[in-house]
Amino acid sequence: MRLAVFLSEYKEPAMLERLKAEKLGIVLVQNGVYHAAVKKDGKVSPVLSKDVEYYALSEDLQSRGFSDSDVVDGKVKVINYEGLVDLIFNDYEKTIWL
Amino acid sequence: MGKLTIGCFSSLVGSMSLDFAIKLSEAAVKKGHEVDLWLSGNGTMLGKKGQGKFRDYSYLMGTVKELINSGKFKITNCEACAKARGIGREDTEEGFGIASMDWYLASAFGTDRVLHIGGE
Amino acid sequence: MAIKKIAFIVEKLPYKSETSRLALTHAIASQTVEIHLEDGDNVEPVLIFVGEGVLNCLKEQKALDMYGVTSLEMHIKNALLLDLKVLVCKEDLDTFGLTEDSIVMDAEEIGGEVTTEVVPYDEIQKNLESADHLMFF
Repeated sequence: MRLAVFLSEYKEPAMLERLKAEKLGIVLVQNGVYHAAVKKDGKVSPVLSKDVEYYALSEDLQSRGFSDSDVVDGKVKVINYEGLVDLIFNDYEKTIWL
Repeated sequence: MGKLTIGCFSSLVGSMSLDFAIKLSEAAVKKGHEVDLWLSGNGTMLGKKGQGKFRDYSYLMGTVKELINSGKFKITNCEACAKARGIGREDTEEGFGIASMDWYLASAFGTDRVLHIGGE
Repeated sequence: MAIKKIAFIVEKLPYKSETSRLALTHAIASQTVEIHLEDGDNVEPVLIFVGEGVLNCLKEQKALDMYGVTSLEMHIKNALLLDLKVLVCKEDLDTFGLTEDSIVMDAEEIGGEVTTEVVPYDEIQKNLESADHLMFF
């Protein structure tokens, strides 16, 4: 399956480790964008350590005092709501909000 | 064009998930998609008449009305969840549907994508 | 004529929030969804408890006495009575030192014939893959 997992909080949900998919995308929204925008003790969030696609919602980054270029890891693509709609319809079949 | 069903179970005040659901709906409708939005649990607060517009609280009714007027957006409150919160038909904004939980499942049956945003 | 499978996945604890209760009530609502659909169409629900969500399945819940609300235990029994498929993650039960004896496995006393299935996570993953839509509560 092609699965998009929405992370809305700044913690690593246990379920994230277990989910398997042919194509897995992690979409960082709301407080989930902190995974993409800050380092803790100088380290990038462990959420970003997987071999999957990453996206962060620009509007939620900006709301929290970050710009799109503040993303700490180049593998995170910054998208807006329109891009998110395209992801949902074109790139993934199923979604999960954690 | 496709159809997106969103379920949102989070509160209008105290959570930004409804804000997310409405902005996503707006973007989807602008792209020509249809959207069904199911409000359950504390999410039913979104349909309550007479909401005050304060800078410290989410106010989404203006956008919701525009979405309803687009003809591509259906918004429906869970009847039992709303009633449990004292929100009956007479307390609900025009354009909002009121239905039992099977409405959400029927929408999920006939849609292309489901985004279920659970409660907090 | 089509059947769409929807997985209702419960991974939150009961009572402090309404979330797991709404998973149960929405899953049970699949019993009446046909009224909205064309003849022959239907929704096939599967109710899945994982992570801390397995604690919703404990027996002897006294929520009706303490809070005046239907217990999650009773909702699970109702789901079994209505022949819903109920899966509980074996590894997560083990994590909490629980066994089949600790959780709701049947609804025999109210006439239910279907039983809870305690399954390894791999089986749950298969159900997530075969579902048309996923609803995480």
